[in-house]
Amino acid sequence: MNSWLELAEKKLEAVHLPLGRAEYARTYHLQTRLHELHCQGKIADTVITVEHEPVFTIGRSGSASNVLVPLEVLEHEGISVYEIERGGNITYHGPGQLVVYPIIDLRSQGRDLKRYIRNLEQSVIGFLAKVGIMAERRAGFPGVWVGTRKIASIGVYVKHWITRHGLALNVDINKYHFGMINPCGMNIEVVSLNELTKEKYPLTKVRAGILSEMEQLFGWRFVEGDAQQYWKEDW
Amino acid sequence: MTEVRLPDLGEINEVTVVDWLRQEGETVVAGEGLVEVETEKTTFVVEAPQAGKLALIVKRKGDKAQINELLARIS
Repeated sequence: MNSWLELAEKKLEAVHLPLGRAEYARTYHLQTRLHELHCQGKIADTVITVEHEPVFTIGRSGSASNVLVPLEVLEHEGISVYEIERGGNITYHGPGQLVVYPIIDLRSQGRDLKRYIRNLEQSVIGFLAKVGIMAERRAGFPGVWVGTRKIASIGVYVKHWITRHGLALNVDINKYHFGMINPCGMNIEVVSLNELTKEKYPLTKVRAGILSEMEQLFGWRFVEGDAQQYWKEDW
Repeated sequence: MTEVRLPDLGEINEVTVVDWLRQEGETVVAGEGLVEVETEKTTFVVEAPQAGKLALIVKRKGDKAQINELLARIS
């Protein structure tokens, strides 16, 4: 049996890159670049956290037909639409939502896609439990649910066993925007953390809570990194 | 002839083929992404085990595949 000291020493250092609020396309380029660098063995496991400007993204099983409003309405609301390579259908990102993009090597996490998804879900479920909210999984519908309402969405892409994309947790979102799509291609209701709690949680507090859960689940110790060194001017 | 099989993905039993990144007759290099499969909201890229020509696609877009099932052959 390992002693506590041995287990503590086994913790891997992972880099947290807090982007604050950032536009989707720039962040997409950043995570693609980091994914490439990780595949080349040039960076350690890295977790981007970000709050996006309003955007709909459509995954590999998705279709633009799940956007329920005309293009003019999207333009008026300043919402862009991107078709991307992650799994899943359509989702919304926007202010009041914590988005987490782990760029990590699953070979050091047991080469198990289901376990990875379960750990992402558990980081949300564990944090929510600490603020008094009982959330759960639903078999066959990855993500995190509070009753019948979805509070966190998941969509992942894995190449060379390195991940990108990740999870999005609704903290205080614009539900009018979410209402413009069939989230995940289904007619489901979404919910934000701050609708369920008396205390109104700022995104930074939620972020700290989720990262702390991830450290436990993935066996990491986070160090903060500087995203600026990876940004390119033409993004 | 080299077989391209769905690798062990952990607890996952079945995936759906979402897109072939190379078509039959095209030359592929070892380690390059050949086909995207999806399960549990995850897109996983299956790589070419060795260089050659993608001779035959066995599982087409939309088909289900089990772990270790034959996806394609490279000559």
